[in-house]
Amino acid sequence: MKLNALLLMCVLLFAPLTGCLEQTESNDDCSVLPAGHADDGVLRILTYDITALSETVTDEFTNQTGIPVEMIKVDDAGGILDQMMLTKSAQQADLMIGLDNTYLPTAIENCLLQPHAATPVNIASSASAFYAGDQAIPFDQGDVCLNYDEDALSEANMTVPTHLHNLTEEEWKGKIAFPSPVTSSPGRAFLVATMEYFSYETEGDAMAWWTDMLANDAIITTGWTEAYETHYTGGYGEYTEGYIGDAWMTVSYCHSPGVEAFYAENYTHSTSLMLDHSSFHQVEYTGIINGAAQVNGANLFIDYLLSTDVNTNMPENNLMYSVLEGTDLPETNGYRHHADVPSVVTTMTYEEIDANMDAWLDAWKAATQQA
Amino acid sequence: MTPTSKWAIRGISILAYLSLASLPFIYALARLQQVTGHTPWEALWRFSHVYGATEALHYTLLEATASAALTVVIGLPIAWCLGRYQWRRPAFFRALFSVPFVMPAIVAAMGFLLLVDDGGLLHTLGIDLRKETGLIGDLAARTGWDHPGHFIALIFAHAWFNLSLMIRFVEPTVARLDPAWEEQIGLLGQGRTRLGRFRHLWWPILGPAVLCAASLSFLFSFTSFALVKWLAPFNNTLESLMASYGGSAGIENYRVDTSEIVMSASMVQFLILLAALYLTSTLQQRHSTRFSLISEGGARSARGPPNWRARLIVYSGAGFTLAPMLAAFFASFRVREGSFTSGMAPQWSVEGWRAAWSGDLSTMGVGEALGNSLLYAFCTLCIALPTGWMLASSIHALELQHRPRMAKALDVLTLLPLAVSAVMVGLGVLLGVLKTMPALFQWSFLPVLPHVILTVPFVVRVMLPAMRAVEPEWKEQALVLNLNPLQTWYHGYFSFIRGPAIVASSLTVAFSLGEFGASWLIVRAGSWDTLSVVVDQLMSRPKFDPLIQPAAMAAATVLMAITFLLFFMAERFRSEGDGGGF
Repeated sequence: MKLNALLLMCVLLFAPLTGCLEQTESNDDCSVLPAGHADDGVLRILTYDITALSETVTDEFTNQTGIPVEMIKVDDAGGILDQMMLTKSAQQADLMIGLDNTYLPTAIENCLLQPHAATPVNIASSASAFYAGDQAIPFDQGDVCLNYDEDALSEANMTVPTHLHNLTEEEWKGKIAFPSPVTSSPGRAFLVATMEYFSYETEGDAMAWWTDMLANDAIITTGWTEAYETHYTGGYGEYTEGYIGDAWMTVSYCHSPGVEAFYAENYTHSTSLMLDHSSFHQVEYTGIINGAAQVNGANLFIDYLLSTDVNTNMPENNLMYSVLEGTDLPETNGYRHHADVPSVVTTMTYEEIDANMDAWLDAWKAATQQA
Repeated sequence: MTPTSKWAIRGISILAYLSLASLPFIYALARLQQVTGHTPWEALWRFSHVYGATEALHYTLLEATASAALTVVIGLPIAWCLGRYQWRRPAFFRALFSVPFVMPAIVAAMGFLLLVDDGGLLHTLGIDLRKETGLIGDLAARTGWDHPGHFIALIFAHAWFNLSLMIRFVEPTVARLDPAWEEQIGLLGQGRTRLGRFRHLWWPILGPAVLCAASLSFLFSFTSFALVKWLAPFNNTLESLMASYGGSAGIENYRVDTSEIVMSASMVQFLILLAALYLTSTLQQRHSTRFSLISEGGARSARGPPNWRARLIVYSGAGFTLAPMLAAFFASFRVREGSFTSGMAPQWSVEGWRAAWSGDLSTMGVGEALGNSLLYAFCTLCIALPTGWMLASSIHALELQHRPRMAKALDVLTLLPLAVSAVMVGLGVLLGVLKTMPALFQWSFLPVLPHVILTVPFVVRVMLPAMRAVEPEWKEQALVLNLNPLQTWYHGYFSFIRGPAIVASSLTVAFSLGEFGASWLIVRAGSWDTLSVVVDQLMSRPKFDPLIQPAAMAAATVLMAITFLLFFMAERFRSEGDGGGF
């Protein structure tokens, strides 16, 4: 009797499956698609939890243009791409804000964006170097690199690493936390950095290094938050719930120590590891979604986001650098002083990332599983 | 109303609900099949080859079993003492023990983290469950057990979460245990010892209730996500594995590996939980039967006020329940401040509350979010209560017509949403709405849909035992009084299940308040954020700004207070003899 009831349920559940297996329409020539949702005059922005887009900022845009704004928020940059891919046939947002340069090639390759007509001026070359087409435009930037706890190293009488291979040594066993490149965008950025770093090395390769790191008990986390807040000893995490504090080094931004100081009256014991080619210059983009209903509003918002008033406040409002030429971090509370600027960052191109990202992720999974 | 039209209405309700509950899963599964090229059965066979899946399954089974066992160990003595004696404020205790069950998991996780952190209650007692030093470190070193502290913290958090299940199922049964039975069995040879009385009286009566609560605890611990993410960061359950990789699942020609992970893990989870639900349903039916057999004698009044041991147990239980909530409340007033010379230190401040109320750090303030939450909860109630009522009455009608197989099948089917991963439901709702009516995404009330799917099984769980307990003679007696049909229904039927209906309503509202709409519905506009979404939003942000964390705790405190108030009010309508579960 029990078996019969179970079988009945399974039949009820799986019988209708075949009816749902239709193919979605393709858009191989990347033509501009009709609106995926009705135009009700509201500008819908697909983004992650970008602090720069506070209610005050969006209200000011509405005051200037008369266009109301509604946010559709996902977890992170990867979530934005996933969302656009899933809703390809009927996009629900008009503007995306937050894809970085490790995700942008996939979005463009999949025709998820359409040309914008925004006319910003004065974009710094550091921001426009990676991609200068009309499908997306940078709105903030920063360098992803390793951060370490100066106090911890000093107390343990350890020297600052001069090579990534140093991190596979016994004294670093279990003391480094990496956000997974499969689920985190800073993790992904750092994976790209390691690919470039080892391309300059005569011995060893990136995947062998990752295998060695895992064998040396490196901590892999789902996202940046767990790595920085829960495990890293050098950041604000020690004052938050759930802090474990077992990692003296983690992946964050080279200017994260500056942000720490900014919020703590010029106090921080975190700093960045400045090794040539070990950091990745991350640029975050905004772009009009292919299938948007409010194209005009989206163009106006891009101009607004890149206006001097809004964009120069990126360091305070979004904890990232502005993309406007001639801007820098503020000096307040040692923000600029504690922010490190790498002298040699990755030079990985759009084409290289586009061609190799999936293979790198697969290789990373295989390398870390091997350990 | 004729029996035929009654069944027609029931049939439509059943079909509508089952479609609502199963279609998201079916859509998600169909899309994953399309992306991976594997059928659901092939995905099951490939499970052991999927990245991280085998480890996740082992850990899930282990923590869910241990959590269920710990729930029984902690909850049974409390339920026993609460049901056995005449307490001055039993409704207060019942409400208190019920609140954790509907707390957003992220709030519970924060509460427990505060307890196990440096300077927390346990740490000051020398038990370091977080950094695993001292005793816990020794345990890890001696046994080779990886992260025992995190595991212990997790199963205690699950026990805290599921404590209400034990109270709701076991306490009313204990309260109806006639003291005369114990006296009588004491005179017999088999009942002279405590063990004898346990074997021959208590266990036969309490066993199904205890096992029912334990199997539900297993189920909820099995699908746990937020608590695992925060309390056991080095391990994954199947649900947390799916949540980590689920975002990019179901997309054609993109990250096929994540679709494989989600498909295989969800199939294994579905089958295990289906078996657990079947077991739960059987146990609850057995519990209802036993419960209706035992007397309604005033066991509490016969035993009088609690002795010191009962007080100690119940007050300790209350302390255990309150501790994480109080920790969250106090944390809302702790703001870290730093200076170049003295470093960082937390200070007492109301700035977190101010930030939470103003909405400076989130999409909206606490007041506005609470308004949205209450509106969603009301809408959910309006749909979930009649739907659940209809399903429960259909199951009961089938039982009365001696069609047990069909009744059982329908009973288990109503529980299906509990067996399906939230990731699958999220993906399925998105695909389903995209396929049928994309314009629905702009409809502010769309989050009510997953809230209804989630809460109906609980309405059925509460109403079904209550309906089973209604004697047909009561209706016949009302008919004799020559009342009109509505009055007959009211006096001969409804008045006996009014209490459980109010309990089911409060549970529905509380669940809706605590539900994370954002995790269920992938596309949703932010201007309709609920209170639990605001808590999640704040907790997920980088906390360089020292006000973010206290603001999140302030929002969580408001949520806790509203939930407690709701349950406390609902308890007033629960009769002494109500053994409905929950």
